[in-house]
Amino acid sequence: MSKISVIGAGNVGATAVYYIAEKNLGDIVMIDVVQGLPQSKGLDFLHAAPLREYRVHIYGTNGYDEIRGSDAVVLTAGIARKPGMDRMDLLRTNAGIAREAAKAVKEYAPDAVIVVVTNPLDVIAMAVLRETGFDPSRVLGMAGVLDATRYCTFIAETLDVWPGDVSAMVLGGHGDTMVPLKRFASVGGIPLGELLDEKTTERLIERTRSGGAEIVGYLKTGSAFYAPAASVAAMVEAIVKDRKTLLPAAAFLRGEYGFSGIFLGVPVILGKGGVERILELELTGDEREALARSARAVRQGIRELDSL
Amino acid sequence: MKRVAVIGSGNVGANAAFFIAEKGFADVTLTDILEGVSKGKALDIMEGAPIRAYRSRVRGADSQREIEGCDVVVLAAGAVRKPATKREDLFEQNSGTVKEASAIVARYAPGCSVVVVTEPVDLNTALFISESGMPRKRVLGVGGILGSTRLRYAVARDLGLSVENVQALVFGRHGEEMLAPARFTSVSGIPVLRLMNEERFQSLVREVKDAGDFIVEMAKRSSAYYAPSAAIAELADALCRDTRRVLSVSTLLAGEYGIEGAAMSIPAVVGERGILKFLLPALNRDENELLERSAEELKSLLSRRGV
Repeated sequence: MSKISVIGAGNVGATAVYYIAEKNLGDIVMIDVVQGLPQSKGLDFLHAAPLREYRVHIYGTNGYDEIRGSDAVVLTAGIARKPGMDRMDLLRTNAGIAREAAKAVKEYAPDAVIVVVTNPLDVIAMAVLRETGFDPSRVLGMAGVLDATRYCTFIAETLDVWPGDVSAMVLGGHGDTMVPLKRFASVGGIPLGELLDEKTTERLIERTRSGGAEIVGYLKTGSAFYAPAASVAAMVEAIVKDRKTLLPAAAFLRGEYGFSGIFLGVPVILGKGGVERILELELTGDEREALARSARAVRQGIRELDSL
Repeated sequence: MKRVAVIGSGNVGANAAFFIAEKGFADVTLTDILEGVSKGKALDIMEGAPIRAYRSRVRGADSQREIEGCDVVVLAAGAVRKPATKREDLFEQNSGTVKEASAIVARYAPGCSVVVVTEPVDLNTALFISESGMPRKRVLGVGGILGSTRLRYAVARDLGLSVENVQALVFGRHGEEMLAPARFTSVSGIPVLRLMNEERFQSLVREVKDAGDFIVEMAKRSSAYYAPSAAIAELADALCRDTRRVLSVSTLLAGEYGIEGAAMSIPAVVGERGILKFLLPALNRDENELLERSAEELKSLLSRRGV
């Protein structure tokens, strides 16, 4: 049985645990610094196990040593940016949390693949990579799967078809700096361009870019967690089941797409070794430019990280 | 709970019932003209229910009248291919079975949707519609969906990637003349030709065209039934739960791609009321001509049986 640790028992972390348990992907440890929080959620899940037929164990704890031997570690811990909060404050707090978690992963789960969800994820992934000293293939960030699933949802809604029949690839950063590839979306194998006009596609891309903000707009004091957690579970499944799944993820680049030394959203093949391959697609001039903008934003983030 | 009636409890029909029970979206009534066969197989499936936690009830009936009131009928009765025979050779043998079934469906379950799998599927789909008088959008043949799932598997295996990321679309006549242009196959949205060359892709299409024959040769006493049954279950799921899946189904064409009077597979959105709409991606001239040639031959085979 695989072992999966989820660090951070907030909405994203706890909902990821839910999806992972529903799919029986492996035994789960939930970690949080708040006393009693992971314990209570872990117990609550276990109480549902007979009804939901879980074949995995779920355990909540405050102790990092419990992640021992994990195959995959999901890092969701951190604070969310609140109105008026300086982005450096956010980075300072979350980078601190991430480093502490990374130290624990290095000590107790040195063979794990780490999926970073904590924002700003391309920068936090870098902090985690440095702290663990892991091979870069074993550290990656979750963003593209979320953007792609939102994009697919909007396409399916517009065409009134089953969302599972829509697939799409995206590149670059999360949200605003996402680079959707219009040529790389299809419905049951049919290229999207055959089914939707340019204007409609643009509108759906715009909605995808602001997908997170749309949810925040409704919730006021919270942000999305169901779709983010589902995206995490999809990545965890690819890792622990060694699925060799082709999906977009923030991966550490060493020359791919012309960039080095940063995490950037690219198509990767995900398996038990983490990022097993980065797929290089030929891009148009516009796409290359948009990707370069994403990369500049990430480099700026890293400079901020270095200046802390 | 919706109910699916399966006419013909051989390997294809019984495994369709099995997959439906595993998915749990409908109850199943299995029927067969051989007394006891459907009851025996239904009982066997249900005896696994406590372990597999089925929500579906599967029962067997010796009379085809038991299809009364069902939501979906699966027509899986008839002879299957033997080594070194052609799909079309079965038409003479199976058309009688299809005619009988169409009369029974028209009488006892006129409002249902029908999934035709009895070979040759494109001919029997057209025959069923003509005999039963049912609307064409309620009668769907398992053709392209089977080719598509086989192609998805072949591409995923060849690239060493997970199968669920691969989308593929197969059109046209089921068998040798199926149409599988590479631009309708993609992996996580990425066109397949960015991941393999055309020659490689065509060799996988060849494999799919040969898949039915290959399995008949290997299995000796049966034809393929796992993948066909999975395709039936997927169609039945779309029809019962209105999933609106994009699936390539054999349908009686009425002007789509300029063709009329023959059934072949084209991509459609499938929901509770059958085919909700056709998706008609553009084909080039060669592709369209292939469809037209297939249609002419199918029409002449149909007219020989008075359809």
